[in-house]
Amino acid sequence: MSLSVPGEAARPREARRRRGGREGSALTPYLYLLPFLALFLVFVVYPVGYGLFVSMHRWDLLAETRPFVGLEYYRNLFDPETPQSQFFWNSMKNTGFFTLVSVPLLIGTSLGLALLLHRPIFGRAFFRSVFFLPGILTVSVMGILWRWMFDNQIGLVNAVRTDLLGMQPLPFLSTEGLAWVPIIVGTVWWTIGFNMTLYLAGLGNISQSYYEAAEIDGATPWAKFRFITWPLLAPVTLFVFVTTVLASFQLFGQTLVITAGGPNRSTQSTIQYITEEAFSNNQFSSASAMAFLFGLVMLIFTYLQFRIMARDARGEN
Amino acid sequence: MVTPSPRAGAHAAAPVALAPARPPRRFRPPRDIPRFALLCVLAVIFLAPVYWMLATSVKPEVDVISTPTQWVPANPTLENYREVLTSPDGNILRWMWNSFFVATVFTVLHVALCALTAYPLARMRFPGREAIFWFILGSMMIPGIVTLIPQYLMMIRFDWINSFHSLIWPGMAGAFGVFLLRQFFLGLPRELEEAARLDGANSLQVLWHVILPLSIPSLVTLAVFSFMGSWNNFIWPTFVITDVDKLTLPVGVNTFSQRYVTDYGKLMASTAIASIPVLIAYLLAQRYLIEGLSTTGLKE
Repeated sequence: MSLSVPGEAARPREARRRRGGREGSALTPYLYLLPFLALFLVFVVYPVGYGLFVSMHRWDLLAETRPFVGLEYYRNLFDPETPQSQFFWNSMKNTGFFTLVSVPLLIGTSLGLALLLHRPIFGRAFFRSVFFLPGILTVSVMGILWRWMFDNQIGLVNAVRTDLLGMQPLPFLSTEGLAWVPIIVGTVWWTIGFNMTLYLAGLGNISQSYYEAAEIDGATPWAKFRFITWPLLAPVTLFVFVTTVLASFQLFGQTLVITAGGPNRSTQSTIQYITEEAFSNNQFSSASAMAFLFGLVMLIFTYLQFRIMARDARGEN
Repeated sequence: MVTPSPRAGAHAAAPVALAPARPPRRFRPPRDIPRFALLCVLAVIFLAPVYWMLATSVKPEVDVISTPTQWVPANPTLENYREVLTSPDGNILRWMWNSFFVATVFTVLHVALCALTAYPLARMRFPGREAIFWFILGSMMIPGIVTLIPQYLMMIRFDWINSFHSLIWPGMAGAFGVFLLRQFFLGLPRELEEAARLDGANSLQVLWHVILPLSIPSLVTLAVFSFMGSWNNFIWPTFVITDVDKLTLPVGVNTFSQRYVTDYGKLMASTAIASIPVLIAYLLAQRYLIEGLSTTGLKE
């Protein structure tokens, strides 16, 4: 070992020197990077600055001039008199509610499924496919499906209620509050498989010897979960938590297709309202200001995800 | 780190290799029956919407709204499928082709671009390498909503509204693919690369003949993610594509949903048709999809 260490250290340095001579031009790496960086500047870097510029001008696609208005559109969002402020914060409240309810539900159910499926059982591959499969559907298909499941009169849920249980049908889609049920149930059904797969991978990485040791000590199943499984799954849970929160903030398709944001804007998500303000009302500046404000809120969680990934990147250097 | 899947790698290199040893499939009857029963109940609940979709799609309109509920279609018909496939409001097969075309072009270009970018970032030394890498990676912190409106205004200026260009180019310079491939390239052994260098290969030949063949699992993972991302994209095409002939499948199906608000027979037929290609793709890519997902972004 002590002999191989200097050899190991010398070899890369020598190789580096040799490669340096054959690398061709010093420009080579930059030539490789050129196409990406060009697209990156045009479609990522520039739009950020452009969006900030738009949010500070009165932007009208048809107008000749676009006067500078500074932070007016941002101030509007904090002035309770403006409709923008009312609708924007209403949509923020809705998105926040959805996130608060759906994230614990999505983490809990996917962990539960993974625990059920981790140990060998008859038909395990079949079950994994069944729970994973809904996730491959596009959001509009998933939304139409769940709108039909919860149709006010004749959806499957109401059919079960009336025909099998003898209850009255509930107008899920047109009742404030209740309209969240199809959205959240549909989202759980739709996204559980991805998180379950991450948890299954995490469970597979836990050494069996911990459990064997715990069994010798006579640990109950709950104690094994509480003191072995849950702490060792913490990195997976953090990853699932951050990605699920980010996905929940992006709520758009489910509410658009299932309830169209109704009844009475009670399920309108922030992204849905921003796009309405931009593309239906042609208020691009106002919508840009909202996008930046909302982006700021999301940034905290995006930063966490970035840190998780950056930790991996550093580990390699 | 992003690790290559050992099984996928073994499969690519040596198709004759034996399947890896599985944990014994013991079915311990008294202990496992409650778990098995619970899984069966959950599976039935998960499949109920799919059954309801298929059952509704073959019912004539009167049977869809009949009470009491028709649990099993009494008069099955393919009429809904026929009408959806020949609808004057938009051809679902056309949308499927649009989605397929856009997703394929995007995936091929994106994987190639990411490989070209990740290669120098992982295997060459040059001033500014770290700065460029962190600059690209840092862009992942920009939430998508921030660039939505400026990109839309750019598409107007480029005259790319209703053009597939708007579906292909703005998402091309994504940092995730560069990150994924760079992490993989970093882990490849130096020896083969050096041998190729000594044989006089230039850097492009090294990339093509050495790096890429060794990276097939990660390239496939990135391709699957890119294809799915493009195929499932919903927000962006909703606004940049308005011509009914140029819609992608998710957006097109949603226009049906707005048109036939309560004609669930036709809606379910269209969702069933829209699900068929992803089902086939899933069956083909299942292994890569699930393994790529379980190894991406997670440290072992």
